[in-house]
Amino acid sequence: MPMKYAFFAGCLVPAREPQYENSVQKIAPEFDIELVKMEGANCCAPFSIQSLDYTSWLALAARNLCIAENMGLKIVTLCNDCYESLLMTNTILKENKETRDKVNEILADVNLEFKGKTDVKIFTDVLYEDVGLEKVKNAIKRPLNGLRVAVQPGCHLTKPKRLHFGQQMGALALDELVEATGATSIPYERKEACCGGPLRGINDEVALSVAKQKLDSMKAAGVDSIVTVCPFCYLELDMGQIEIRRHLKEEYDLPVVSFAELLRIAMGMNLEDWEMRTHRIPITKILDIMEAR
Amino acid sequence: MSHPEAHFMHEVANTPRGRGVLACIQCGRCTSSCPVSRVVEEHNPRKLMEMIILGLRSDVISEHLPWYCLSCFTCLDRCPQGGDVGEVTFAIRNLAVTEGKIPEGVLTQAMSLFENGRVVTTGKMALIQREKFGLGKEPAVNVEAVQKILRKTHFDKLVSKVK
Repeated sequence: MPMKYAFFAGCLVPAREPQYENSVQKIAPEFDIELVKMEGANCCAPFSIQSLDYTSWLALAARNLCIAENMGLKIVTLCNDCYESLLMTNTILKENKETRDKVNEILADVNLEFKGKTDVKIFTDVLYEDVGLEKVKNAIKRPLNGLRVAVQPGCHLTKPKRLHFGQQMGALALDELVEATGATSIPYERKEACCGGPLRGINDEVALSVAKQKLDSMKAAGVDSIVTVCPFCYLELDMGQIEIRRHLKEEYDLPVVSFAELLRIAMGMNLEDWEMRTHRIPITKILDIMEAR
Repeated sequence: MSHPEAHFMHEVANTPRGRGVLACIQCGRCTSSCPVSRVVEEHNPRKLMEMIILGLRSDVISEHLPWYCLSCFTCLDRCPQGGDVGEVTFAIRNLAVTEGKIPEGVLTQAMSLFENGRVVTTGKMALIQREKFGLGKEPAVNVEAVQKILRKTHFDKLVSKVK
């Protein structure tokens, strides 16, 4: 029996990082994971929308939660921001009857009711908690021994702690998953710090300065690649390197890869050359590094 | 500096996500852990809380001051008081928005949300890539339901308030 999840792709991954979604779709069946489409699901209502109006945020996020409830499934997201928005809304509405009633009054107009019967996970949680590290290890056919990786967990995989208490291991789990591929997760300064991505399009200059801090400390730690979960981190660190080169005259040349893609490479699944060049810093570099060792 | 409005702290505290301001002891752990404060002198979460406590409403509810925060929530984990400045930021943004103070980048996302049910839409290049991957088009949103919700919450009016 496959493990079924309501699949919440979000906005940013399908639109800006389809290669990540593709790798998730390719590896899921290998672990007996079935990703069931959520009919008509809307934007998660990320921090930008939360900044505008509290009730709109909760109602939009709750609509997605209701769709999953009606499917009788837990949600799996690919993006840290979708994860945060849906998880926080689920927690608030489960705990606070007054707010829940208010949101349900809005949802009644679209024939839905939040009952609090679903949970929210992110894809790496599913691999770590539901599939298990052993099975992930057993699926590795082409160990990435010697690859020095900077793990970029991203903020909302683990923060705020009160939302994740007892639920998952966050960054630590991601480190273990990365090391299961044979790669080494290299410690670096300010690993848990933000990539700067959320300010992209709002205050690009600040976003880039924050990204530069991260890239500087990754470079100082001597890594040869970066592994992300969140599409904000991916865009900020991949595209960001091109922008930093142009505006701040600093060169890193570090390929940025989602964990799903890294795992897919380690599982010996073939990635097309053009696919690896959809990244601004081509991830063919990872293969080159492996070959050189 | 603007004229202090003594009730401002309570206005913020009574706005959703704003409660934490009442717990702030001005220790500054938020600022010392903030990734933006490291690069932008003007962004100082401790000072922002101080300004709220002092009632400097028009300085806080402005076009730019509340919009430096990345919502990374580091300060939520670091605050010894549950002061939640990263949460309070949402409260002051919500207040700023009711006065039509929204940065252009956020407004663009809000417009897209109302029109498409998603904050980011898939461009030509990504569509070609999706097709090559066999992923199909971007997942379809029930835009009608989204608009119904956003009309009910008056989100449409909030966004149209912008000059």
